Amino acid sequence: MSALDPSLPDPDFAELVKPDRVSRRLYRDPTIFDLEMQRIFGRAWLYLAHESQLPNEGDYVTAWMGRQPVLVIRHPDGNVHVLHNRCPHRGAMVVTDERGNTGKTIRCGYHGWTFRTNGELLLAPMRDAYAGRYDLTDHACFGLARVPRVTCYRGFIFASLAAPHDPLPGLLEFLGETRRCLDMVVDRAPDGEVDVSGGVHKYIVRGNWKSQMENLNDNYHPPFSHASTTDAEQRQFRRRVGDDSGVHLDTREQGSKWDDVRARGLDWGLSYCDPLPFNHEKRGGPLFEAHCKALRNRHSAERVEQIMTDFFHNVIIYPSVVLQLASSHVRTIRPIAPDRTEIRVYPIKLKGAPEEINRQLVRYLNITHSAGSLIQSDDVEMFRRIQGGLASEGQEWIWFNRHMADDAERNGGGTSEMVMRNQYRGGYLRYMNQGAQ
Amino acid sequence: MNGTDCPAGHDLREVEAFLFNEARLLDERKFEEWSQLFTPDGYYWAPARLDQEEPWTEVSLMFDDLEIMRNRIARLRHPKVYAQLPASRAVRQVSNITVDSSSLQDGHFDVRSVLFVFEYRPTLPEPLERTLAGHVVHRLAASDAGLRIAMKKVSLVNCDSAFDSLFFYY
Repeated sequence: MSALDPSLPDPDFAELVKPDRVSRRLYRDPTIFDLEMQRIFGRAWLYLAHESQLPNEGDYVTAWMGRQPVLVIRHPDGNVHVLHNRCPHRGAMVVTDERGNTGKTIRCGYHGWTFRTNGELLLAPMRDAYAGRYDLTDHACFGLARVPRVTCYRGFIFASLAAPHDPLPGLLEFLGETRRCLDMVVDRAPDGEVDVSGGVHKYIVRGNWKSQMENLNDNYHPPFSHASTTDAEQRQFRRRVGDDSGVHLDTREQGSKWDDVRARGLDWGLSYCDPLPFNHEKRGGPLFEAHCKALRNRHSAERVEQIMTDFFHNVIIYPSVVLQLASSHVRTIRPIAPDRTEIRVYPIKLKGAPEEINRQLVRYLNITHSAGSLIQSDDVEMFRRIQGGLASEGQEWIWFNRHMADDAERNGGGTSEMVMRNQYRGGYLRYMNQGAQ
Repeated sequence: MNGTDCPAGHDLREVEAFLFNEARLLDERKFEEWSQLFTPDGYYWAPARLDQEEPWTEVSLMFDDLEIMRNRIARLRHPKVYAQLPASRAVRQVSNITVDSSSLQDGHFDVRSVLFVFEYRPTLPEPLERTLAGHVVHRLAASDAGLRIAMKKVSLVNCDSAFDSLFFYY
């Protein structure tokens, strides 16, 4: 699969990624894609699954770390392991369902090699043939390989393929300020836990994974590419219970009010942005009040006020995942090829919240983030058009040069392209350059 | 049950004609007229998992009541609906129609059918061409104006797959 030729020198990333623009090659070149899979997806902390998807021992979900297949599985001692989905014997995938329960053991279909749910080889049929020469308890050779770093933050399971000596920081340091966003998502659940087992939306983007990442905190595009979602007053439909209206996508002003939606760039290319202007007024209504009441069983009134006040809209944990607060979901980005990306969107239900809150949250997510979404399909269309346009060699560059002065503080308005520049400076180039030997 | 029994006053030919007409309205992108076939509390549901029992606790490809239908159709009519510029063409084939006589109640009855849709979107850089297929249940209600749809459930056989964007009703 890999187009990497070790005898070729590294592409000159300083030439491909300038402070205010990047080369079209980053979106189309299979060699660069292979390097990204090795150096970014082969190293970064990637979100794989949520604990609520694995309530019982033997429960598993499959996932991809870049192009590598893994399974996330619950061991009888309660620990979650991330195992490579590859039989150590002859290489077959040991699990081919997206999710399920293996019972106490995982058995490879080819020769019956059988593993414990922590990856240890339990038995290889007719093992006499190995006697005296091979130690089948040698996990490195004969166990299901374990992904070396696995850490869970408030139920969200992340893993990294970075080697043990790699200077990549631990998950908590890597997440940095974005932990506050994850906390906010989880703290809205009156039981203090969220439930990510409410199914999944999946769709294919005929474009590069970076196009999706570069869109998430881009508040320059909504009034234009999402114009079809608005009424004659340029107001979008209502997105959730308790709001009195949808977002106002007003393009009449030159100094866009979208620049009041601030975004912050963080280390490793992470970022988050302020809440969108959904409401004319403060949220309210009986359901909203019932939700607050349920929260007050656990928190002080002041804390509930804080929890229920949106402080972010989108948090991007570059390069694999984004979470949204209002349209409560976690979304994973899986690169398949330079021109093909799979997106998965899981609703985040709030345990202990009034049932109707969770029902409406699931319902609105169908509208905003399904394959048949009224909003997302606009973005997917633009990613497809980008991929088509970049076949042109008429111009080399893709520009991310709005509000260049924002970079000093890594704090920019909604129409700034600081977030994308930070993805390249703080994330992309750092991974690419540190991965160079 | 032979699949041809209908409630008193209806017959299979009428049901077939209703389903064929409904499919043609969609083929011809007469979405507004199509949506008027639904009862005031009617809905369209495309599950995202084949054995999904209801649309409230897990996500669906589509779960539209009349309000959402109006939003979706208004968007399809918007001059800047980029995801449908140019628009898809589609042809639907409806077959294997049976009436579930065990479902007769409150003037409602369920009709099962098989749906094949071929969709073509003539766009650059590459056209979209796909076939979608699934089992459909129409929960029909008799009204003075003829049959109406209380629910249309479209269970695509690959409903849990990763899709290119789905633009309209199937």
